[in-house]
Amino acid sequence: MRRMAVMETSEQNPANGHRTDGSWVNDSAHKAWDRTRGAVSELKRAAAIEQRVNRNPYGSLAAALGIGYVLGGGIFTPLTSRIVALGLRLGIRLAVLPMLKDEISVLADALAGEGESKGRRGGKAAKPSGER
Amino acid sequence: MEIAEQIESTVREVGARVRPQLNDAKRRLTSLNGDVTSYIKENPGRCLIGAIAVGFLIGKIARRA
Repeated sequence: MRRMAVMETSEQNPANGHRTDGSWVNDSAHKAWDRTRGAVSELKRAAAIEQRVNRNPYGSLAAALGIGYVLGGGIFTPLTSRIVALGLRLGIRLAVLPMLKDEISVLADALAGEGESKGRRGGKAAKPSGER
Repeated sequence: MEIAEQIESTVREVGARVRPQLNDAKRRLTSLNGDVTSYIKENPGRCLIGAIAVGFLIGKIARRA
């Protein structure tokens, strides 16, 4: 059965089953293009790129810029280290300083309370000495 | 007291003069932001590929420098 089919095809296509006119190049190119388009649309659907872009256009652009930067080999460069250092500095300022501020204010309140209580005690203790 | 009043009046005057320009700039920036956002939403593929290309170039330049 298989042999017959092979024979039929070889009869239809005289040069060992391959067409000689070059149309098979066109066919395979079309097939490859279709496959690529299918893969791209599948990728788009899987990653929900359009939804992401609609939700956060600037963020997705920044992400694409970052991907390009990494692909361009800019990850281990002085510019990256500068950017990372700046980001860390800003992050520390934004995240740690409010916490420190809170801690310092609590400490200052505690010290002020202690000082007042000491002052009261000192005042009571100082009165008799002043009377002398 | 007079100096304080003078300063206050000057600040008010400057504010009144600058306010329309600030409002105009704000309106322009808002409309520009809307235009850019709508363009990105209409052509997401083009914008993303362009951003990747720009990032790639910046990465290359940073690598060379």
